Amino acid sequence: MLKLQVFALIGLGLVLPTAVIAHHGWGSYDAAHPITVAGPIETLKYENPHALITVKAADKVWTVTLAPTSRMQTRGAPPEFVAVGKLVSAYGYPSTVDHAEMRAERITIEGKTVELR
Amino acid sequence: MLHDAPPVLIALEQSAFASAIRGSSWAYMTANVGHILALMLFVSSLVVMDARLIGAFAAAPPATVVRPARRLAALGLLLMASTGFMLFAAEATHVATNPVFQIKLTLIALGILNALLAGRLLREALDHTPAFAPLPATARLLAVLSLLIWFATAACGRLIAYF
Repeated sequence: MLKLQVFALIGLGLVLPTAVIAHHGWGSYDAAHPITVAGPIETLKYENPHALITVKAADKVWTVTLAPTSRMQTRGAPPEFVAVGKLVSAYGYPSTVDHAEMRAERITIEGKTVELR
Repeated sequence: MLHDAPPVLIALEQSAFASAIRGSSWAYMTANVGHILALMLFVSSLVVMDARLIGAFAAAPPATVVRPARRLAALGLLLMASTGFMLFAAEATHVATNPVFQIKLTLIALGILNALLAGRLLREALDHTPAFAPLPATARLLAVLSLLIWFATAACGRLIAYF
């Protein structure tokens, strides 16, 4: 019986740390190489779990992942702030999976910067 | 949305239900918080149940611990499934194709099978084992499996966001 209990504890010990380590990660975004994507907003999805905009930058059309809508509202970025047609500058981290997607740390529109993290 | 996802997932993601969750300022957040609260109920009851099957709390006749704990765990699992379905529906096509989510679903199926099997195989022993008497080895084996499966499920749940 004691052997089985020890086995169970070892098993849990193997499984649990993965969750703890991952909690601090940014997963599939390259935080070591931040980029700035600038251009007019082409589309807006003001939705959960994350608001999304597409931005027509000089090189290509980027999908920029923003934040949950409740946080956007709290930080002063309601739907009107990120409306289609406005010029945005988004500082953040490129996806390592989708080369036309980035996750914004902060965005600047009409001189106003909003932190999204 | 992924356009090459199975039609049923595209339909789910585009349903009025899923759109309402995405469009609401509180629905997704509430489902997310509810999922964690349900997890607390589920896993606390589960650990009590499995610990008794493994041999802890020996002073209590096993049936008096295992059966009520099992009912609470089942309630927790039901709440997890309903809040989880809300979170899933909002981004069904992306989540369903996530390898970690697929592992998680497999583990959930295994966990439920394991629980049903335990319910069937251990009924006799629970009915007749008094306090301090050992349960059959099957009880300990299924309880250890249960803990491993469900903790791995929780780890996968958290890891979906990172793959």
